[in-house]
Amino acid sequence: MLSKSGKMSSHPAVRFQQIPVVEGKLSSFDKIRGTIVDDVVSETMRELTGADFDLVLGQALYSERFRLKHFKGNIYTRSRSKKDRALWNRVQAGLLRPSAEVDREQLLSGVVRHFGEEIAGHFDPRVYRFASHAVPWGVSWLLNAASVRRFLPWGMTESLASRLHILGEVTALQRLAERGTILLVPTHQSNIDSILIGYVIYLLSLPPFAYGAGINLYSNPILNFFMSHLGAYTVDRQKSNEIYKTALKNYSTRLLREGVHSIFFPGGGRSRSGAVESKLKLGLLGTGLQAQIQGYLSGAKFPNVYVVPMVMSYHFVLEAGSLIEDYLADAGKHRYIMMDDESWQPVKVLRFFWKLFSAQTAITVRIGKPLDIFGNFVDEEGRSIGPNGRTVDPRLWLSTKGELRSDPQRDREYTRELGNRLVDRFHRENTVLTSHVVAFAFFEGLRRRYPDLDVFRFLRLSISQRSLPYDEFTQAAAQLRERLVMSETRGELHLSPELKTPDTEKWIRDGIGQLGCLHGAGVIRESDGVVWTEDMNLLYYYRNRLSGYGLSLLAESEGPNRMPGENDSKRFLA
Amino acid sequence: MTANVFWRNSRIAVIGAGSWGTILANLVAKNCREVQLWTRTEEQALAINSQRLNQRYLPEYRIDDRVHASSNFESVLGRDTACVIWALPSEACREQARSISGLLRGDEIVLHATKGIERVSLKRISQVLAEELPCRRIGVISGPNLAHEVARGDPSATVVASHFDEVVEAGQILLTSERFRAYSSNDVTGVEWAGSLKNILAIASGALDSLNLGWNAKAMLITRGLVEMVRLGLSMGAKESTFIGLAGLGDLLATCGSSYSRNYRVGLRLGKGEKLEAILPTLGGVAEGVHTTATVRQFAKERKISMPITEGVLQLLNGAVSVPEVIQSLMSRPLKSESFEA
Repeated sequence: MLSKSGKMSSHPAVRFQQIPVVEGKLSSFDKIRGTIVDDVVSETMRELTGADFDLVLGQALYSERFRLKHFKGNIYTRSRSKKDRALWNRVQAGLLRPSAEVDREQLLSGVVRHFGEEIAGHFDPRVYRFASHAVPWGVSWLLNAASVRRFLPWGMTESLASRLHILGEVTALQRLAERGTILLVPTHQSNIDSILIGYVIYLLSLPPFAYGAGINLYSNPILNFFMSHLGAYTVDRQKSNEIYKTALKNYSTRLLREGVHSIFFPGGGRSRSGAVESKLKLGLLGTGLQAQIQGYLSGAKFPNVYVVPMVMSYHFVLEAGSLIEDYLADAGKHRYIMMDDESWQPVKVLRFFWKLFSAQTAITVRIGKPLDIFGNFVDEEGRSIGPNGRTVDPRLWLSTKGELRSDPQRDREYTRELGNRLVDRFHRENTVLTSHVVAFAFFEGLRRRYPDLDVFRFLRLSISQRSLPYDEFTQAAAQLRERLVMSETRGELHLSPELKTPDTEKWIRDGIGQLGCLHGAGVIRESDGVVWTEDMNLLYYYRNRLSGYGLSLLAESEGPNRMPGENDSKRFLA
Repeated sequence: MTANVFWRNSRIAVIGAGSWGTILANLVAKNCREVQLWTRTEEQALAINSQRLNQRYLPEYRIDDRVHASSNFESVLGRDTACVIWALPSEACREQARSISGLLRGDEIVLHATKGIERVSLKRISQVLAEELPCRRIGVISGPNLAHEVARGDPSATVVASHFDEVVEAGQILLTSERFRAYSSNDVTGVEWAGSLKNILAIASGALDSLNLGWNAKAMLITRGLVEMVRLGLSMGAKESTFIGLAGLGDLLATCGSSYSRNYRVGLRLGKGEKLEAILPTLGGVAEGVHTTATVRQFAKERKISMPITEGVLQLLNGAVSVPEVIQSLMSRPLKSESFEA
């Protein structure tokens, strides 16, 4: 099913039984779960050695009390918070008594174990096998019900794989998965991502991956069941205390060291602005480096951790509306009451897939060039290639004064550089779709009429101000495509096949049509020779997919292609 | 092993035996086991090894016995080199780095002492080295360090900057002596840009001194010049505070009053009516400021960063105007706020 170029060809029929379910390291996870939690506790305690335990516990107690006070859960998350409360009541009582009576180390170790147990997931191979078959089955049922099946010849049905273009370094990923531990780092736009990534991993015959799932995802009973049994571990972003963060990192390091492939969304959460991630959370990312160092020191057979970027491109995003509002509220620092994330309701998700399958649309997933833990490219054998094209030995970069060991400051810096490198790779591995280009062209064309407005005023243009003559729009779009073609030859991004045609009319129609799939005529509408928009925020959201490439004719430029010294005084940069 | 013990037993390579490279080799020799000094020619190496003198640059400066010179990269960068100190002019950096990259392992610490930037690309030297060498732990040494004064043993200080603490630590341990202090910084961008930009003002300062003006004029040049440095530095992501430190204001003050500075001498002789083509071959070294001025001014123009003094220096270097004319045009600019944000 993979052609030589590594490109996934579309399936003529649903033939999932052909793909074997690979079980990998996670299968035996439940047998060693106890050991792993023990290791996390002892490693975390080791790192906290020498700290003032009273102070560490006091700080954690304070921030946890604050968090719990503002905690709003439902029946699935409430039991967790009940346990949390009980713990902190115990800690508080302990701290109030003299240290001669209550051993602080024991108290702290109890807290670490509590967090360790909360973080650690489970893995049930039976559930995995079931899910591997049920998800494709459910999806194909939906697909075939939604698609215009009656026009297809007898016996031909469609599968999700035909709507999912998997491009890029597929073979390299598969090979490296056997030579080391994979740290898959996808861009994150939608909650749908998690399902798709799981599906891609299955399609590529890779063993299951562990991943950190936000605690809010456990609030849905069905998801709660699957995640709890499929190797997901719990990440609670609200817990900001050092004890928790250290335990979480140690858990991730421990899994990687065990050879369990893992997934992190390095952007932290979904991209609020719609742009490709340009700021990353480095905490968990750095655990790859630590796992590799520990692998070297323990003489592991496959100590290497490979960081594989993955960029997903959607023509339309289910949560676009609430994400962009969230972004603007935060960027504009206005008083704002967070909208309910209503997009994750089952009906909406179903509707999204229905739209996806009933229209001629596809999701593009690009597996990026694999990197080592410093951000160097690696070859097919898994060797690091330095910036000058020579192989480098990671062991030497991890040696300080002749000794191979971890060094917190050095390793933070390496991870920061890896982060910068990833941002660059994300942009370069991004597949630009017709919808992004029409949104960018229209938005920027409009912007040139109001060059003095900053983004917040610009987005409040009245409806009569939000239009362009169709000819002016198409001309701008054609010019933009020319520049994108140039960018592609420079390796700065990828263009989807639809954009390879110089038939401007054709791809513009496609782009407008794709945006219309989910949003109706809200984002871009064309009538009587005029193009206009009803929803400036959504337009901005889709336009932002091309933000950070220095493509705007007005000053807006940062990100990897930023020229030094450029700034963004009007704050359009997403 | 503590850091001090490690470095005391280490082998250090210094690339470049100009006046500053030679002095750095000598400073480091007091704090390590042996120093290998790379020279451009074998004759120069033989002379240093036999006479313990660098005739061409520092004829009265005795070179430590622990310094061994050679023009052969293989022998200079022998197996257990722990740190490479880079003291070549900016123009030679990329090519030389490329030619030695195969001789390095990757765990060496690299410290460079080049005050310049790559032409056209505007890359800092640490960026150039990171692109060409297999090493990642790279830092910069920069400060008010007029070679002849350090050679004489005058008390001096410098800044060692790197994103890696271990690089800064190595630099501090290796360079420090009774008469030389090394301060630490993590603003690599700021330290490198400050060191490069001050060369433009050194030219301006020499030109100003050709008119025998008083301290008011010099103070105005230095302070307003510093504002230009900060403006450009900030746009490159540097920290403002670095510019009032040793690598910024410190270096500016030292070079703007010293005829030891090659850049200063370029300005002075231009002011006295000599042509640039006639001056450059007779300096006994590279005046980094000449190329830096053109590169920076081009960039500033594209980014609309106001740098009138740099603009004036460029015109002077091009031979288009005289020093009084530049001063006239700077003094008759519209009145401004003192802020560097303008």
